Amino acid sequence: MAIPEPPPARPSPAAVPAVAGVPAFAGIPAVAGMPVRPARRLGGWLGLLPMAVLLTAAFAVPVVSLLRLGFGDGGLSFEHFRRIAEVPLYRSILATTLTISALTTLLCVVLSYPVAYLMATVGPRLRAVLVVVVLLPFWTSSLVRTTAWIVILQGNGILNKLLMGVGLTSEPVAFVYNLSGVLIGMTHVLMPFVVLPLYAALRALDLSTVQAAEGLGAGPATVFVRVVLPLTAPGAVAGATIVFMNAIGFYITPALMGGPAQTMISQVIADNVNRELNWGFAAALSTMLLGATLVIFMLFQRAFGLERLFSGAGTARSGEPFRLTSRGRSAGGVLTVVFGLLVAVFLIAPILVVFPMSLGSSPFLSFPPYDYSLRWYVNFFETSKWFNALIRSLQVAGLTVAGAVVLGTAAAIGLGRIPARWRTAIETLFVLPMIVPVIILAVGLYYLFAPTGLVGTIWGLAIGHTVLAAPYVFVTVRASLKSFDPSLELAALGLGASWATMARRILVPTILPGILAGAVFAFITSFDDVVLALFLTNIRTRTLPKLMYEGVAHEIDPTIIAAAGLIILVTILLMLVNLLVTRRRA
Amino acid sequence: MSLTQTGKPVALRGLVKSYGGAAPALAGIDLDIEAGSFCTLLGASGSGKTTLLKTIAGFETPDRGEIRIGSRDIAPVPVARRNIGMVFQNYALFPHLTVARNVAFGLEMRKLKRAEIARRVEAALALVSLDGFGGRSPRELSGGQQQRVALARALVIEPDILLMDEPLGALDKNLRQAIQVQLRDLHRRIGATIVYVTHDQEEALFLSDRIALMDKGLIVQVGTPQELYFRPANRFVATFLGECNLLPAPSGRGEIGLRPEKTLVGGKAAAADIRLDGTLVSAVFTGTGYRIAATVSGRPVTALVANDDPAAMLAPGSALPIGYMIGHAMALGD
Ligand SMILES: Nc1ncnc2c1ncn2[C@@H]1O[C@H](COP(=O)(O)OP(=O)(O)OP(=O)(O)O)[C@@H](O)[C@H]1O
Ligand SMILES: [Mg+2]
Repeated sequence: MAIPEPPPARPSPAAVPAVAGVPAFAGIPAVAGMPVRPARRLGGWLGLLPMAVLLTAAFAVPVVSLLRLGFGDGGLSFEHFRRIAEVPLYRSILATTLTISALTTLLCVVLSYPVAYLMATVGPRLRAVLVVVVLLPFWTSSLVRTTAWIVILQGNGILNKLLMGVGLTSEPVAFVYNLSGVLIGMTHVLMPFVVLPLYAALRALDLSTVQAAEGLGAGPATVFVRVVLPLTAPGAVAGATIVFMNAIGFYITPALMGGPAQTMISQVIADNVNRELNWGFAAALSTMLLGATLVIFMLFQRAFGLERLFSGAGTARSGEPFRLTSRGRSAGGVLTVVFGLLVAVFLIAPILVVFPMSLGSSPFLSFPPYDYSLRWYVNFFETSKWFNALIRSLQVAGLTVAGAVVLGTAAAIGLGRIPARWRTAIETLFVLPMIVPVIILAVGLYYLFAPTGLVGTIWGLAIGHTVLAAPYVFVTVRASLKSFDPSLELAALGLGASWATMARRILVPTILPGILAGAVFAFITSFDDVVLALFLTNIRTRTLPKLMYEGVAHEIDPTIIAAAGLIILVTILLMLVNLLVTRRRA
Repeated sequence: MSLTQTGKPVALRGLVKSYGGAAPALAGIDLDIEAGSFCTLLGASGSGKTTLLKTIAGFETPDRGEIRIGSRDIAPVPVARRNIGMVFQNYALFPHLTVARNVAFGLEMRKLKRAEIARRVEAALALVSLDGFGGRSPRELSGGQQQRVALARALVIEPDILLMDEPLGALDKNLRQAIQVQLRDLHRRIGATIVYVTHDQEEALFLSDRIALMDKGLIVQVGTPQELYFRPANRFVATFLGECNLLPAPSGRGEIGLRPEKTLVGGKAAAADIRLDGTLVSAVFTGTGYRIAATVSGRPVTALVANDDPAAMLAPGSALPIGYMIGHAMALGD
């Protein structure tokens, strides 16, 4: 998302940073006004080929063969769909999915305005802190965040102890394993998708339009309703669409933080595959989920364009950005700031809680711990199941980064060399893995790989992760290619360099920041994934997130918290790397 | 529309405003603006013009000092109740509203009846010759048209005073001049008190009843254009407004200022009250005459002469007598 600060983001559909100020990445001819020469064109198609092969074999084929099962064996049957429509249980699950997604979206938008306002109207130092407060959870694995929330919210959790401690309640309040748990968890995971474009939209708001409204007699509330709201609405709506699209496919958070009444469609899909072994029915549900997701995606593309998915608010700014003037805040402004600070605390709380907690020494979770020790970290590295899982995660992530960087970069370079009329279509197809709910890909790959023996190996999982990660590399490299002047290439070739020499000495160094950023995203995509790992690994090949997931679903022990602490450390490290890369790029 | 309003007088007393930097943006401004007059704030970039305007409008709070409009101290009055019209440098039209809705905005805030609003919006658009543009979006207008919408939007609320921050800054020269004429006519018709910011001195001379020249957060001199041009208070004013030759005073103490059109050269200098020895540097044809550049004991001197003046035909480096009448020399304070 394009925000004035360096825009790191974590890998989820809308999360890839664009080079600030660079508009659409779709459909911009690489060589303006220059015809694409045939050899160059052939090279372009060759560059696209590897990623196309991977996406066909490990994305299109598994997803389509899965969906095919939904229409019966042999002929065309709508039996499964009829069952979904007729059985009240399934109807209510669809309704639950939509309701939870809608509520989450609403919460995200309502909570984002105060934070975005706060970020836009404070001094540069506090703003930098707030940007970290928003981005750090954004980057952190949603499994880690969900774990932390459970620790905070559960019956004998931190919040309940606090409430009972100050005497506000006499017995534990049920915050988790019900609707409030799901909403808290999902809102926390998805809120940055609204905060970031909204903040960008607020900064793009011209201070003088606000002042003009005031000068014409509008009070603070009227200014908000009649000027600020309409001018920032596109940013908020774009973010909300992404949130809703993601929410309907959510699996981990509702499974861990909800109760039976909050069962969402992804859980039913997984359940039908794992327990009922009813593939046809799972496929029919997947078809519905995918259909809904694609419809939202198409609406989004219509309304905002594909590039908006990667670049936040696009409005060009004239004049001074919206900020606080020496006149100070109105009463409403003060209230908003207080609310914004509370939301900021909400955003950072799970991360702040994990660290001290992981440093306790008692076998029971306590916050703050009575005494500090590295006991559980030591335990993590000394217990073979944890240590092996970590090693396996790193292996898979290494394979994924290598595959995704090669395929994504080649495809991004290739895209600029094929005729312009093909580009938008190919680009849309290549980013689809970012949009399709992961559960569908997981079940599809499981179905496809099971007979081949790839399930339970790190190779199968790495292939799946590469499908998810290559589009991120593709997008970041595309963005950095925009700053690559094609005449540099012609100049180098004209000076006698071979294409390979040109690529090595001119092209790759220019787009290296994009490749590095893509590699960071690829790593995180793989390192944080739970859903694919649930289906594609077994007890001998499980990854760190899968092991954590199993623990969290059972009971959270201090080693899990230590693992969460480790993942946060890795995340912070990667965030810094990305920050350095984007700094250098800017 | 009966836009014949009589504006209110403005009095500024000891205004100080600092943004926290080393030098304050306003370092103690005292200024009286008569009701219905056109007062221009002129000054170099960063001299505090915009800050002063924003402080009057209420967008910034002064650290010290008083702003009186009419006879009322407006410090406690919130921006929304000040009834001040403001035209921003970049117009600040609401991009999501049509031209008519932009102009109607202030009237809607005043809770006027719908029919009344429609009538007044139409009249205001007619006033700035934009009849029939009401349904357009601001994006569909040229820069000059947007500027006029901004003006109509500010005027339609019948403000006590109208503030304009370099409203013509973004326009090309022809359009600027056309709108300057319209602006002056408009001011005569409506009689509002206008405070206008520009750093274009020709524009200031053309439009203003009075000019306040600002430098480093202070007002250096206030007066009619003629007063500032012919009786500059000091060297800064003399050189800022129009061209000015600086020559040693005949008394030997300090300097005097001399406008190029009052500077006599060649044969004409012989009959002048004060005569000096100069050297011709160049003579450049300007169409209406020649522009003579010379030096007098190392100081540059510029003179404007007619096309048939023999001095223009001399070779560079030739000796050129320079002179002036005592009455044309402007005493500079410091
Ligand atoms: N928001 C602000 N924060 C900090 N300093 C400011 C701010 N606005 C103005 N200043 C400073 O105050 C001084 C006066 O600025 P102001 O904008 O009033 O100048 P100006 O006369 O309008 O200049 P210009 O002709 O360039 O518009 C300048 O030194 C400027 O840097
Ligand atoms: Mg200014």
